[in-house]
Amino acid sequence: MSDNLIILIPFFPLLAAILIAILGPKLLKENSHYVTVLAFAASFVCSLMLFFSVQGQVVEEGTSFESVTTLWTWAAVDNAMIDADGHSVPFLIDVTLRSDALTSIMLCMVTFIATLVAIFGAGYMHGDRGYWRFFAYVSLFVFSMTMLVSVSNFLLLFVFWEAVGLCSYLLIGFWYHKPEASAAGKKAFLVNRVGDFGFALAIFLIWINYGTLNFHDYVVDGQVIIPGVFGQMRLGGALPYVQGGMATAICLLLMLGACGKSAQFPLHVWLPDAMEGPTPVSALIHAATMVTAGVYMVTRCTPLFHASPDAQVTVACIGGFTALLAGLIALTQHDLKRVLAYSTVSQLGYMFLALGTGSLAGIVAGMFHLFTHAFFKALLFLGSGSVMHAMGNVIDMRRFGGLRHLMPWTFRTFLVGCLALAGIFPFAGFWSKDAILASVHDRAYPGAHSHDSQDSEHDADHDADQDADDHATHSVALLSADHAGSNQADSYTNIYVWLYRSACFTAFLTAFYTFRAFFLTFYGPQVIPDESGHHAHESPPMMWIPLAILAIFAFLIGFVSELDHKFAHLLTSTPSLAFAGMHDTMQPGGFHMDIAISSSIIAVLGIALAAFLYLGHQREVEAISKLKLVAPLRALSLNKFYLDEIYTWAVVKPLEFLGIIYFWLDRWLVDGLVNLIGKVPVALGSGFRYLQTGLLPFYSLSMVVAMLILLFLGQVLWGGG
Amino acid sequence: MSETALLQNYLLVGSILFALGLTGFLIRRNLIVMFLCAEMMLQGVSLSLIAWGRYHNDWSGQMLVIFIITVAACEAGIALALVLALCRKSGSLDIVNWQNVREEGRMPYIDQEVPAEAMESEAWPTLTPAGIEPATDQQELYRSNV
Repeated sequence: MSDNLIILIPFFPLLAAILIAILGPKLLKENSHYVTVLAFAASFVCSLMLFFSVQGQVVEEGTSFESVTTLWTWAAVDNAMIDADGHSVPFLIDVTLRSDALTSIMLCMVTFIATLVAIFGAGYMHGDRGYWRFFAYVSLFVFSMTMLVSVSNFLLLFVFWEAVGLCSYLLIGFWYHKPEASAAGKKAFLVNRVGDFGFALAIFLIWINYGTLNFHDYVVDGQVIIPGVFGQMRLGGALPYVQGGMATAICLLLMLGACGKSAQFPLHVWLPDAMEGPTPVSALIHAATMVTAGVYMVTRCTPLFHASPDAQVTVACIGGFTALLAGLIALTQHDLKRVLAYSTVSQLGYMFLALGTGSLAGIVAGMFHLFTHAFFKALLFLGSGSVMHAMGNVIDMRRFGGLRHLMPWTFRTFLVGCLALAGIFPFAGFWSKDAILASVHDRAYPGAHSHDSQDSEHDADHDADQDADDHATHSVALLSADHAGSNQADSYTNIYVWLYRSACFTAFLTAFYTFRAFFLTFYGPQVIPDESGHHAHESPPMMWIPLAILAIFAFLIGFVSELDHKFAHLLTSTPSLAFAGMHDTMQPGGFHMDIAISSSIIAVLGIALAAFLYLGHQREVEAISKLKLVAPLRALSLNKFYLDEIYTWAVVKPLEFLGIIYFWLDRWLVDGLVNLIGKVPVALGSGFRYLQTGLLPFYSLSMVVAMLILLFLGQVLWGGG
Repeated sequence: MSETALLQNYLLVGSILFALGLTGFLIRRNLIVMFLCAEMMLQGVSLSLIAWGRYHNDWSGQMLVIFIITVAACEAGIALALVLALCRKSGSLDIVNWQNVREEGRMPYIDQEVPAEAMESEAWPTLTPAGIEPATDQQELYRSNV
């Protein structure tokens, strides 16, 4: 049954996309959303059924479960490569869909949020000229995204990786007559190219080293013909993973791809600009689903990353640094959607930080945060869309305020989203952020975990900074005894200590900037911009009901998933995560009361500071921002650390200069040569041209004279033969 | 008369026809006259072809001439139609009126002043409609059809 389900899930959105593309402009027009919503809902139902079927089979079949459905063979080349042992390796690409825990979780999340966003979008986009176009693109996107998470092959993963990128480009530039929107679309596309370049190189290296691009084993009659990269044979330890420098190269190139798609430093610059697209798109693509593709990919490639501690620590550093950087930028942005965009970048950084710990706990925490983040970030974006809808497309927080009475439903649901993002108990963000902090903490203080579980009286309020050095030395001693083979990884412990501190600080920043935006938007005196006209009002039910549903999930989903560690148990049955090497790392499920309490205190402190500064008069803000010490820092944050300017001068301008040189070379050297050849006949002709007098007698006389000359010459030269 | 002498006579007449035609073609500017001169050159050539054919006792000369006459007839139809069209456009048969098809930037050839042609009687012959009394319209009668 799951075979059919996994096919139906992408099929419905594809059908919707094709139907709307064909019938939209003439027939469906303002009814296009029915097709999309129905298709997404059908996909969601199928995803849920798949989810439960996978869950049931995991219980039956034990830890590592996958089910592979082959649709057709896309490419088959015999003797494509001779491997190191002299065997010829065929290049075989099947269009293959897989259902396992990771895929089913992603599918449920994507289709659920897509359904709600489509309903919201039907209200938000009402009356737009490109109404049907919007729904055609969104359907195409959901098709690509569902395929992206369910294909079982690096090449097809890359294909749909590009397909979601294309949909993202089309939707960012949806209002293409706006110059900012089309520029933002181009920027997103070009920045993503840098990442995709790395991803493509990584795929080449994987092909060279593993002789296949399939995730699963290629089995004929129960015989493994080609062992897949994440197939049971490799995971079971029967075949080795490439180690050393090559493993690091593969992982770093994969990470470059993930950086592009998931907006990590240094390729994060496209995401805030992508907010030029319609807000439902920001919610669906640039917050909940597409940008998490990088996290999904790194999770899927866990065995590859496991082989390279260097790459893992790089992932963690990129993630931690991006989280901090984006958090700092978000502090001072005026644009509500940009605050949310930087917060997305920051939270994605968190996810990569968790993945970079390399422990099972960390990866589960990263995926868990991806899952919960999708709900509350989609909620926040749709909430901001609702505000934008009411304010006549004004999104600058300085121009509106005090909307809590005007838009009660948006206000309530936005509050839930903010609490979840800030990580307040028992909202969804609390559980996942805590899991991440706990996994990083365990990685930074390897001894502490066992202490915690054994010694429940462990000081909950212990000062991490003070104990850091003690723990570090302690843990190295412990680990060198336990895992003699993994000494190299432990030389990074110090880095993880710093990453843990930075993550805690980022948690504080997150709570602060979230509630800064919240207070600026919903509290203070009621200010409404002129653009909204005189009918600023709460959005219609079609828009706030999806908000309410998302708010319920943002409240509950973390708690429900954490019950009994259901999420972790299911996710660890994914083949990529269920292999021998992985089980030696820290197991998920350790709920750390001390970390939970300290992170809650941090979050509450952040909210309190935001309340102190931005509730009521903003005298303090003005006073602080005028301080000599703060002003340049504030400018730095407001201008996004001048990264866009740096890229402009370091990358864009030199390339433009090169482009000018090439243009001139092409114009004057290449074209010049061609034109020169063209000019020769013209020059020759210019002499004879003057013989064309337009006088018929002249022509006839010249004919006769020429004929006489020829006859005469004939006589003289050939003797009148 | 011997065959050679006969051939000489024919060739002489043919070359005279050709030379006359060529001279006329070169020095006259009237479209129709130029056309007639070209025809005359053609006839001169045809005559010499026939003479050679007879001399060699070979029919291909005659055959070629029949072919020439056929082609010349077609050519005459086209040429006269063109002449008519050109003449309607410029109002005169003078070839010099068409020198504006020359290369751009080239100065036109300008005649010396030509004495005005003596006005001819403009009564052009027309066919009388058969069977009915023609309604004689003086205007129509004297209108130039050229």
